[in-house]
Amino acid sequence: MSYVSLEGLSKSYGSFEILRGLDLEIAHHQFTVLLGPSGCGKSTTLRLLAGLEPVSGGKIYIDGRDVTTLEPRERDISMVFQNYALYPSMTVEQNMGFGLKARKVPPAEIRRKVLEAAELLGITQLLARRPRELSGGQQQRVAIGRAIVRRPKVFLFDEPLSNLDAKLRVEMRAEILQLHRRLKATTIYVTHDQEEAMTMADRIVIMNAGEIEQEGTPEDIFFRPQSRMVAGFIGSPGMNFLPGRIEAPGRVSTPVGRFEFTGGGAAGQEVEVGVRPDDLLLARAGNETPNGAFSGEITLIELLGPRAILHVDANGRKLLAVISHGEMSEVSVGKSATFTLRPDALHVFDQESGRRI
Amino acid sequence: MFEFSKISQRAAAWFAIVLALFVVLFPFVWVFLESIKPPALGARPDVWIFTPTWANWGDVLFRSNVPMNILNSFVVAAATVAISLLVGCPAAYAFSRFRGYQGARYSILAAEMMPPAILILPFFIVLYRLQMIDSLIGVIAAHLSFVVPVVTWFLIGFFDEVPRDLENQAMIDGYTRFQAFYKVILPVVRPGIAAAAVFGFVLSWNDLFYALLLTGNESRTLPVAIAGYWTFRGVDMGKMAVAILIAIIPVLILSFFIQKHLVKGIGGGAVKY
Repeated sequence: MSYVSLEGLSKSYGSFEILRGLDLEIAHHQFTVLLGPSGCGKSTTLRLLAGLEPVSGGKIYIDGRDVTTLEPRERDISMVFQNYALYPSMTVEQNMGFGLKARKVPPAEIRRKVLEAAELLGITQLLARRPRELSGGQQQRVAIGRAIVRRPKVFLFDEPLSNLDAKLRVEMRAEILQLHRRLKATTIYVTHDQEEAMTMADRIVIMNAGEIEQEGTPEDIFFRPQSRMVAGFIGSPGMNFLPGRIEAPGRVSTPVGRFEFTGGGAAGQEVEVGVRPDDLLLARAGNETPNGAFSGEITLIELLGPRAILHVDANGRKLLAVISHGEMSEVSVGKSATFTLRPDALHVFDQESGRRI
Repeated sequence: MFEFSKISQRAAAWFAIVLALFVVLFPFVWVFLESIKPPALGARPDVWIFTPTWANWGDVLFRSNVPMNILNSFVVAAATVAISLLVGCPAAYAFSRFRGYQGARYSILAAEMMPPAILILPFFIVLYRLQMIDSLIGVIAAHLSFVVPVVTWFLIGFFDEVPRDLENQAMIDGYTRFQAFYKVILPVVRPGIAAAAVFGFVLSWNDLFYALLLTGNESRTLPVAIAGYWTFRGVDMGKMAVAILIAIIPVLILSFFIQKHLVKGIGGGAVKY
């Protein structure tokens, strides 16, 4: 039973279509992440859900109620904005209680609920301060506190962590997750950061050019990308792509060699073959795979600490491979190395449609 | 050589500053000296040495209509500013949030481009028909014609600085757009509103053109009274100087308190929070 449901949602500004008939079902208590490149319509989707902008077509249901034409205040949602949008003229306590005040909750109860939320977020000592006296991370906490204090039906997050520095982002990420586990609130979270999406989501919805490209669990998205766009968007460093042609179902030839893959395809079909850098293995005795080996010249080694990224020139194609620090002694710039593929490592996409084969 | 050029640069800078100060301040000094010259020397700008007297100040403050003129000017300026803000704040907010043709906001300046000489005749005729010549209401109406656009334009910059998400947040929190504007946005732009108020006040306070033609004895404002010292028998320089100084004082005080915001407002508005 879905809790939030979007039916054929579309939005355009003049002749420019941002969303084209989006259908999405979101289950109760689920943490859903909308992920996509900038301009894909993920933020617009969130704003339509919040009622900040009118829809051009389609319906929005929250908890079975059609809210398509309702004002934001009537939808029983709360939202955390990228810039936090704290009210500058109010204290933290007033900021957090502002929504309850609108709903005519008695002051004593407002205070109790604000304190409760503040304790949950560890910001009790900040209640008397004003937003400008807070650090970015603290402002973020207040914004989240203001969102949870009302216990709305749905939480909306619009890239809430993108203004924080990397270390704080990882911290807040974990904290938001814990909060979600605790409150079990239905959450829709927009981000362009795939790491955030992978770590936080129960379910990821990948959007591209106003449409849903793929939805599924983080594992689904990472290990079985259904389109070339998803495959290229998820994963860091990004997936290697080679042009190829199907020789026979389950067998593809590329400029660097012939490979087996699980899947079909028709002989002669033009395809793109994707392989993650982590799935390119340095070939050595003992790890031969049925998949063909190929060699290439190493043009650059980027050491990341425990891992290193190899830039490989294989038959004129530039590929990336990730090796462990222990394998560093086996490679050097300017030398050639032989690679083999993990079994089932190939993602094959139709050249024209970009869909997985 | 380097040292020398540094010194000469510094000297040049000082010279420029002193020159600028002289240009700006000399008139004030001169007007003040005029105000304490004995009336007999009033028309003699070349006389610099004299026995100072407060006779002009006494005449103007206690034996003339100037106090009433000051009150008139104050009422006109205050009412003009109040109405301008009441109209200008929502208007500026609307212009700021308007997503359509962005040139629309410049239309507000069209009113400002109209020469007062074009507006004064219709104003006069309408007020005459309404039998409202020589009433403060007439002057206020005329002043609104140029203060409202200025105040609105001035405020648009301040509203532009306020992120839309602030009112979005308020609307999600349970308020209507008007409540969001009133409870959340207005407090944020308060410095801008104060600056706009001062700006509008000064514009109205200093106006001579409309006030001269639309007022009579009862509703005469201070600038008109000042001009009134220019009589058939010559200029009553001493009394005029006193009235001028009185007219300057509120402007000076207000500008001092608001100078920081004034620069911000003119520079396109900036609200820090």
